[in-house]
Amino acid sequence: MKAPIYIAGIGIISAIGDDVAETLAHLTASESGVSGMEVLPSAYAGTLPVAEVKYSNAELAAISGLEPWQTRTAQLSMIAAREAKENSKIDFTKWRCGFISANTVGGMDRTEDFMKDFLADASSGDLHDVINHDSGDATEIVAEKLGCTDYITTISTACSSSANAMMYGARLIQNDMVDIIIAGGTDALSRFTLNGFKSLMILDEQPCQPFDENRRGLNLGEGAGYVVLVSRRVMDSEGIKPMALLSGYANANDAYHQTASSPEGNGNYAAMTGALQMAGLAPSDIDYINLHGTGTPNNDVSEGTAIKRVFGDTPPVMSSTKAYTGHTLGASAGIEAVISILALANGVVFPNLRHQTQMKELPFGPQTSLLEKPLQHVLSNSFGFGGNCSSVIFSKL
Amino acid sequence: MKPLYINGASCISPQPTFGTEFPFEIKEYHGSRLACVEPDYTPYIDPKLSRRMGRLLKYGTTAGLQALRDTGVQVPDAISTGTGFGLLDDSGKFLKNVIEAAEGVVSPTAFIQSTHNTVSSNIALAVGCHAHNNTFAHKGFSFESALTDAQMLATENESIRNILVGAYDEVTDYSCQIMQRLGLIKTSEESNLDLLKHASKGTIAGEGATFFVLSPDRGAKIYARYRGNKLLYKPASGAVLSSAIQGFLAGHGGGVSDVAVLSGLSGDQRRDTLLQEVNTGLFEGNTILGYKHLCGEYMTSTAFAMWLGAMILHSRVVPAAAVLSGTPSCPQHILICNSYKNDYALILLSVA
Repeated sequence: MKAPIYIAGIGIISAIGDDVAETLAHLTASESGVSGMEVLPSAYAGTLPVAEVKYSNAELAAISGLEPWQTRTAQLSMIAAREAKENSKIDFTKWRCGFISANTVGGMDRTEDFMKDFLADASSGDLHDVINHDSGDATEIVAEKLGCTDYITTISTACSSSANAMMYGARLIQNDMVDIIIAGGTDALSRFTLNGFKSLMILDEQPCQPFDENRRGLNLGEGAGYVVLVSRRVMDSEGIKPMALLSGYANANDAYHQTASSPEGNGNYAAMTGALQMAGLAPSDIDYINLHGTGTPNNDVSEGTAIKRVFGDTPPVMSSTKAYTGHTLGASAGIEAVISILALANGVVFPNLRHQTQMKELPFGPQTSLLEKPLQHVLSNSFGFGGNCSSVIFSKL
Repeated sequence: MKPLYINGASCISPQPTFGTEFPFEIKEYHGSRLACVEPDYTPYIDPKLSRRMGRLLKYGTTAGLQALRDTGVQVPDAISTGTGFGLLDDSGKFLKNVIEAAEGVVSPTAFIQSTHNTVSSNIALAVGCHAHNNTFAHKGFSFESALTDAQMLATENESIRNILVGAYDEVTDYSCQIMQRLGLIKTSEESNLDLLKHASKGTIAGEGATFFVLSPDRGAKIYARYRGNKLLYKPASGAVLSSAIQGFLAGHGGGVSDVAVLSGLSGDQRRDTLLQEVNTGLFEGNTILGYKHLCGEYMTSTAFAMWLGAMILHSRVVPAAAVLSGTPSCPQHILICNSYKNDYALILLSVA
């Protein structure tokens, strides 16, 4: 049995709130963050809804304390990771602290501004806009500000990125390389990803309907979500009461197609069963599944089929919270970890918004209204391009 | 954590390192950009597929598959990789298409391939590997994070015996132009073989894909033992770096005098200060080797260094072109000592 890893703090920013308290309020009130595009300058403003953090980069910088020219990815990361750190109430200076972040686009939001000028004339374009391009850049900026430089790295495995960041962080603690890790992910909306998903024809022109028979695709979102992972030693020495136990996790690969999931959901199945096995739990022990549930025809049937394989025809209560936050890509598993921990701590399942018709392939559907219920174990799924599938289980202490 | 045996290796780089005997014949370049010597991909990738694939996806996938073939392992028990910039050419291509089409209709091919995990997942797809699959994208820590991932996996899980670990990056026309404007690469037509002879401003841009099969078991052929790595973010001084090196070596039961140093000097005097300081201070009297004049500077160049180090330990031949100072006698241990901007990394290799 591996040494237990505890969640000592959480932090979040997304279209449904600047922090944990606002997020919980909107989730409980069934208020979606999907709306018309106001911040991202794109030709699709007016036609494609998104789940934006409704602040300009300058406004975000005023909150984050970073420079306004630094990337939106870094700004979002700073705000959520700082909240997680403060939320933990741990004195970080006494410990070996690391920061494991995840993202898919890095500084693309600035690079695409640069490229417009650069393509017209290779000697033009503001170099400030391009120096923060690589994925690791936002991580180093935030790690340094938060004093978490004993181990720094960034994971980029598409939409499962921040689940893998949490796992890597937990394993670094278990292997005694660090004592505390802030882990999770961040991603900003960009024209690059918006047009990319548009070209794949998987964006919904209306607010998305995950796990619905008539679902049309996903809405992109942006934000960041982080958890503070600590060892038993840190917990005891700091005298803190952690919010949850990270009881299981698994990373598997679908190895089926570069962007599509296998019809049987093989990668999803392997990730869920792997996480259950590590946690030493039976499928019937899981009280709530926070679905990957993007709202694309392919993801939801594949994920639903895998759930049926693991849990049978009467699986636990489930919901996708992407109808609130949009699909935040590299940040999604971090954001959904925070939401899962909120569900666990408050004994509440947040509804799967806008669900109308049960999928014909499945004998079950998601929870459609707020449900108050004591929860002991919550499973959170994240599946991405390249077949990267990861599942994480949070348990109440 | 457990040391791992390097039971398979493959390297595609600006040098003729792929499908050749070691020591390879040193290739000389003039200018600030070194491009990979690309092999024939047909033994590795179906030509129907490779037509649509970007350059890095082709040479990355090929290097990964060849490392597996080198070992005789068909499906690894895990795949972990690192890349600084990911598939930069596809990213640039897709961005250009979007801008030129004013966000109109564009093909998704470049977008699909631009994802950082495309190479590791493409290898998984090619060999049907459903196991752990990770991709790190963190500047000068990308490859080292993948190595640690592998080492932790081998420590945590008895059933994991063969782990495919690698790293890959590419230079593109855009990235080269931008690096030139930022003053990061030289503008002269100097020979790459002179890069480390005198320090000046800027380095030369490089690229490559290098893969290893690492295992807790001794394979039929072992190139070297991978002992461990250590990351340091922004060490404050040469003294801090020196003491970290000593601590790292002591932690592996060795001392400074035991190792030959494979130094990540880039030829850029603004960036090489601390590496120079340990080379002339702590490592005074040690054999110092260099490698960035052969592969160029890039975020995952330490994967090339690990390949070069493993080949030296295996063949007992030190290529004269790699020797910067000291006697080129065959070492028992090689310490890779690299920096990429703020990211300092140590990797220790020993003879099998």
